[in-house]
Amino acid sequence: MFDTGVRQFRLALGMAQGRRLDPANVARLVDDALATIAEFGEPGGDVDEITNGPIANPEARLELATVALRRTARRLAAQSPFYARRFTAADIDPAKLEIAGLRTIPVTVKADLIERPRDFRCADVPPYLATRTTGTTGRPAEVWLSRYEMELWPALGALSGVLRNELRPGDVMQVNLSSRATAALHLSAVGCRLAGAGFRPLGIVPPDEALDSLADGSTTILFTCPSYLAELVTAARRRGAAAGDFRLRRITVGGEVLSASLARAATRMFGVPLIDDPYSMTEIAPVNGRTCSRAHQHYDPGMGYTELIDLDTGESAAPGALGTLVITPYFPYRDCMPVFRYDTRDVARRLPDGPLSCEMSGIPATSQILGKADHLLRLPDGEIVSPRRLIEAIEALPTEPWPARYRAGVGGGRIQLTLPAGAIAGYGEAEARHHFAAAGLDIALDLVGDEEASSLRRTRSDLHETTFAGQHALVGA
Amino acid sequence: MPVPIQPIPLWEQTVTELGVILTGAILVCGFALAYFRRIRMERPPVGAFNARDVVFLLVIIGILPFVYGWLPVPLVTCLLCLASVSALHIGYRPLLGRTGIWLGIGLLIGFNIWSSDHLMGTLPGWQLWFAEQGVAVVLIAVAVCNLYVQGGMKLRHVAWLSLGLAGYDVLFAAYYPLTGRLIARYLTHPLIPLVGMRFGYVDYAVGLGDLLVYSLFFVAAYKSYGARAAAIAGGVVVVAGGCATAFIPLLFNFTNANLDDLIPAQSLFGPAAFATYWWMKRHYGRERTMAEYWASSGPEAAAPQVEQAPVSEPATA
Repeated sequence: MFDTGVRQFRLALGMAQGRRLDPANVARLVDDALATIAEFGEPGGDVDEITNGPIANPEARLELATVALRRTARRLAAQSPFYARRFTAADIDPAKLEIAGLRTIPVTVKADLIERPRDFRCADVPPYLATRTTGTTGRPAEVWLSRYEMELWPALGALSGVLRNELRPGDVMQVNLSSRATAALHLSAVGCRLAGAGFRPLGIVPPDEALDSLADGSTTILFTCPSYLAELVTAARRRGAAAGDFRLRRITVGGEVLSASLARAATRMFGVPLIDDPYSMTEIAPVNGRTCSRAHQHYDPGMGYTELIDLDTGESAAPGALGTLVITPYFPYRDCMPVFRYDTRDVARRLPDGPLSCEMSGIPATSQILGKADHLLRLPDGEIVSPRRLIEAIEALPTEPWPARYRAGVGGGRIQLTLPAGAIAGYGEAEARHHFAAAGLDIALDLVGDEEASSLRRTRSDLHETTFAGQHALVGA
Repeated sequence: MPVPIQPIPLWEQTVTELGVILTGAILVCGFALAYFRRIRMERPPVGAFNARDVVFLLVIIGILPFVYGWLPVPLVTCLLCLASVSALHIGYRPLLGRTGIWLGIGLLIGFNIWSSDHLMGTLPGWQLWFAEQGVAVVLIAVAVCNLYVQGGMKLRHVAWLSLGLAGYDVLFAAYYPLTGRLIARYLTHPLIPLVGMRFGYVDYAVGLGDLLVYSLFFVAAYKSYGARAAAIAGGVVVVAGGCATAFIPLLFNFTNANLDDLIPAQSLFGPAAFATYWWMKRHYGRERTMAEYWASSGPEAAAPQVEQAPVSEPATA
């Protein structure tokens, strides 16, 4: 109890002063949290102070953000060749940076990372682990992480996971992500070790193999992407499985749009109360967003600064308007290859001004992520249709064509939607048009053969990994 | 005309001391258990009492007498005042609310400081001072006992703490009489950690530390193994903490430099408490956690947290 207080004080002091935190200290706090839960069954009061930070007060939050942004910018100006040039070009003095003046610094885009990755690496930190984006939206970017980051992030993640009852001793986490997602796998493995949980990395293997593993009675947490979750639900239905066949208590997905119809089907099939759909991205880690019961996306203000920038003007999005998320992870949470004002191209809608009514009302939020900015459809009448809206409508078809495979464009004043024939098999084109019209979508439907389905929209579940038991094809025999 | 002072027989002193110890022990143990059963203290998000805390406490207890002996008396009074206010605030804020707690603390500590300067000199004055002092110390002991036990202190921790204090008491009461010197230096000063009473020209008292250990042992036994174990623990407190402490002057002479009898109570209670814990562990098995205690003490205390399914707000783009 007394030493826990000292550790908490050290952590709080490090955060307040913006110095590198001691990952071992955070790891010991995870042990303390486990001991607390073992004794009391739950953490004590004011746990949000640890998991969310003391940020309920907007003025305090603004002050914290200003100090953290200046600290981050000062370091980048000294250590990052890319940002040293960028700040000089923008005539920015990091020590006097104000949030109101952030707009003078151009956003960083993925192309910058792809073209000049070495310029982003800070000179004072040796790189330890490279991780790549999946590249589903274009060429993958490579992001280097330091040993410090790979020790600190899982410790902080395990601490908040334990305190929020997302990870406990006795849990077994099965991860069905691409095996090349090195950072996500490493972080999950270390987080599980710190929390006393088991870790089962399977990769994007044939769904039946993943289901066999899920049904063996030991797996309690599933971490995957929505498209692979869709494959699991479909495969489980095919083999006649039911909720009683699994011991899952939590499913977490990320990286893609999760539709409400798929989420409902997955909760029923696997017997979990909800599907966690947090927001995260390799380039802006460890900043992340969490979904509340009102389906807002809340962004951790302690680890980074989140802006929602209007798609057309580059100014802050107005209430109710769409914008792209621009995120700056703070030092000392990011230190090897940090980004400043990184434009994620993930689109969300700004919530109306005024207090929120959800359980995370003290944390800044937007609507759910609606998809990538480059995939928005702009209709002649000014209406903007997001990928989420299309995916929600397609995956709500009675045929349940999960994951949604489609191609969409605008032509003749309407949405030109291409679907595989199987998506409306037994339902009919006319009924399908009615279905989309009921969702407020005026579409011209074009059908292609099912063999073209995966070329219509690439998903993360397409990164299938073969196994000796379930390989797709023999080549060279 | 001076009143001749008659020597008081040792057996009479012994019986009186037994009465004072038992009164203090029964009050502290009884109120501590009642508090434990009815009031759930706020606790920090992370942190449960552990073995390192026992070591920490023993180190602090070992160092404090030297610090108190070295510091000027007014500064020690300030430190005692700060510690008392903290304990009272933590313990009774849930009962009295924000305004009530400060009013209560102000009256209690204020009267204690005033009475330490104005009531001495007459027997009723001494007795009123001892009574008010006793109320403050009992309240502090009850609060600290619950802070530790509700903070996760187990019977195992109490047993080891008692054993450690047994060695401490033998050292500092019998061989190196620092405790006696401190009492002689601070008696009549505010917030001296004693529950006692003056009868005739003799003061009878039991220390806050002793009462705290008795109540910790009693309440931790109740939490860990239930009412029967608490009854056994209470018996050990009465016999090893009360009777043995009171009657030992009949067998040994613990006279310190000030010609007061100072009994190293923990040197008797510690081994007895440890042996009792060992027996309970073998007899009853694993100790209950606080979560298990709450679960066994009422359905509302064990109510699970219910997770809400998300209610989606339409994303109209």
